[in-house]
Amino acid sequence: MVYKIILGIGLTITIIAGLSFPMVEIPRFWYEMPIVPGLEDKARIIFFHVPTAWVSVIAFISSLYFGIKYLRNSEYTNDIKSVTAASLGFLFCILATITGAIWAKFSWGTYWNWDPRQTSIFILLLIYGAYFALRSSIENEEKKATLSAVYSIIAGLTVPFFIFIMPRIVASLHPDPIINPQAKIHMNPTMLIIFLLSLIGFTGIYIWMFTLKVKFSILNYSKKMKEQE
Amino acid sequence: MEFLQNNSLYIVLIITIICWLGIFIYLLNLDKKIKKLEKDIKNN
Repeated sequence: MVYKIILGIGLTITIIAGLSFPMVEIPRFWYEMPIVPGLEDKARIIFFHVPTAWVSVIAFISSLYFGIKYLRNSEYTNDIKSVTAASLGFLFCILATITGAIWAKFSWGTYWNWDPRQTSIFILLLIYGAYFALRSSIENEEKKATLSAVYSIIAGLTVPFFIFIMPRIVASLHPDPIINPQAKIHMNPTMLIIFLLSLIGFTGIYIWMFTLKVKFSILNYSKKMKEQE
Repeated sequence: MEFLQNNSLYIVLIITIICWLGIFIYLLNLDKKIKKLEKDIKNN
């Protein structure tokens, strides 16, 4: 419970700071952030859009992890965890796509222009969309869990390629702040702290949503099993 | 649109609200499912 309260307060502070701390030419006070040329206030999207993409990567990778665990011990809870992680990853992937598209409208002039980032996130959405289609097409529970575990492993392996590698191979207009050595956004400590707090906060929210959904699914599953008996 | 172009802080506000709405709708949905499960368990 304490962790959830800290999470709530932390995220609230992060949102307030991310939206209201002034951006100035040369930051003098601890609460000031540097202006990002060409982006101005739009640079603040980094505090909200990047964490959604980050969470979707964590979720897809954990889906892969639980998929492997399921294949090793055939424990149904691992299947539940794997599918929950994939569904949350899909949700955050959609959020990253929508928020990115809105930002693109005001920075690039159009919602969608098949930038490498947009293309790769679109392909990821298709891959995981197919994962859910696969799950809903199989009736036998065991077969469904095994096949989707294998699929989640294959799909999870493509995630680093689409998120980290492909956008760097092809020329992109997307600003890559911390990961790129030729960073287009230079963050000062204030910006970096808010950004990291946001990453931690979103990850915490993800873990919270994940545990809630897993608890629900396990209860639902045991109820179904009891009914069958 | 022109207002948003001149006041880009509001674009970030919209983006924040979309993130929040996504999480909120997910939780609302989950809440509905849990309530249904509770009801089913009680009835049985």
